[in-house]
Amino acid sequence: MSAVAELFARRPDRLRILSASGQLGYGIPADALAEGLRRRPDFIGADMGSVDPGPAYLGSGELATSPLATRRDLSLVLEGARSLGVPLIIGTAGTAGAAPHLETTLAFIRDIARERGLRFRMATIRSDLSRARVKAALAAGQLTALGAELAVSAADIDACSHLVGQMGCEPFERALALEPDVIVAGRACDTAIFAAIPRRLGFDMANVMHMAKIIECTSVCCEPGGRDAMLAELDHEGFVLESMHPGRRATPLSVAAHSLYEQADPTRFTEPDGTLRVEDARYEAVDSRRTRVSGARWEPAAQTTLKVEGASALGQRAVLLAASVDPGFIANIDGTLAEVERITRSMVAGDYQLYPRLYGLDAARLSPPSTGFAPREIFVMVEVVAAEAALAMTTAKTFKQYLLHHGFPGRQCTGGNLAFPFTPSEVLAGTAWRFALYHVMPAPDAPSLFPVSVEEVGS
Amino acid sequence: MPTLAQTATVVRSKNAGPLTLSFDLMFPDRAGFDRAAGSDALKAARIAALYGVPEAQVAVIPYPVANAIKIALPRRIVAGSPGDRDVYGAQQHAPLLGLEL
Repeated sequence: MSAVAELFARRPDRLRILSASGQLGYGIPADALAEGLRRRPDFIGADMGSVDPGPAYLGSGELATSPLATRRDLSLVLEGARSLGVPLIIGTAGTAGAAPHLETTLAFIRDIARERGLRFRMATIRSDLSRARVKAALAAGQLTALGAELAVSAADIDACSHLVGQMGCEPFERALALEPDVIVAGRACDTAIFAAIPRRLGFDMANVMHMAKIIECTSVCCEPGGRDAMLAELDHEGFVLESMHPGRRATPLSVAAHSLYEQADPTRFTEPDGTLRVEDARYEAVDSRRTRVSGARWEPAAQTTLKVEGASALGQRAVLLAASVDPGFIANIDGTLAEVERITRSMVAGDYQLYPRLYGLDAARLSPPSTGFAPREIFVMVEVVAAEAALAMTTAKTFKQYLLHHGFPGRQCTGGNLAFPFTPSEVLAGTAWRFALYHVMPAPDAPSLFPVSVEEVGS
Repeated sequence: MPTLAQTATVVRSKNAGPLTLSFDLMFPDRAGFDRAAGSDALKAARIAALYGVPEAQVAVIPYPVANAIKIALPRRIVAGSPGDRDVYGAQQHAPLLGLEL
């Protein structure tokens, strides 16, 4: 009998859920995971992805995490789940969950199974959307950017290397029906990883989704926060949270505060299947390390909505890296950069974008720059994006030389304006990507968009 | 008057998706929360001016159960696009630190 079949035959009245990782592949703390396994969870979940690291991974198909650390983490959760005979669910495989990310993750899992002599039944859920499906939504006026303006055209959709939809619980339930031991999903809501099994077992959706929302980040909801495995014990009235690291306390305040994390609104969370409302949730200390949560509300969606993500390549990136300590150069930097760009454009023809950043002078600020201070030194990073790497590098090299020797008013440092930490001081930084799609669309056809398959691994 | 940095235990920023910047201000007790929640310094108009975005696009949401205030506003550039300055949005809190409550 498979792990999923065994769990559904047993139908426990209280469900112990272990969240092994909030982003598998960055190194799972092993001690806390081992403690979690000793608690004999009914199933184990792990999130493997995020949009946090930017568009490069969805765009390129590569993982943000290293192969070595990713394999280590996958081994830990696979061996842990197989040693207990409980289901393992992994969501947003390989950072971004598109086909290449999923294939890389599945290849790692098959390798690990072969090396360790593991045998199990594995269901896979794909999340790639066709360009035609997303363009149909665009044509129907049904694509809405999530959080701010992000204009999109049919050409923008065509330019995306990969398009994924973020699945809710429904595709996981179809995977569960295939009675696997392990489920590996493409792009998925973090909550669905932890909600699909309790939902199918008939637990209250408000508690289920609230629990899932909190534990998908493992011990981030604790004081002090961390990345250690987190255990939730769910019953029919609420759930109790406990970190598997003895030094991390889940307090009523720390758990309530977690609702703020990476959310635009801490009181309501919109998911494909509905909206979680936590305004009236109650957080009560069980002891100094555990908190009981209850009282959230769940409003089922009238219609399934999906988040759609897509990234497209804008060209090749070169960067120039240098520093300056000259007070006159720093004081005149705005005029100097404008003049050097003008000279560069007169020397290097073609279509390219130049984005200088002045570290020490508000380079990292997205808000308007502050004024009236003079740093002792600045770091100059100039980003160049062009269709061809050769053009990006030519531009960076020309910009570098004219910036090095620019004669700003009152210049005394006539040996050169810049200190280079190394040469070459211009480096190619690969393809420049952007998120072209971060939209939601209604998807009454959602079940057909996330195909499920199953395979026997290690047999 | 005390500044936000002196009053809060947590002043953090982070993307809420690549199009949105979100800020969490957490206070050690109800008194600190009440002072901040009632302050003109944290009204949408002030935040909008600090971050160079229209006031109508700034949300300031008190969350008393956690003695916290959430602020959300649109990013001026989509996270990770060329010219971006902070892909994760984790270092955008500095303009708030000196606000006098």
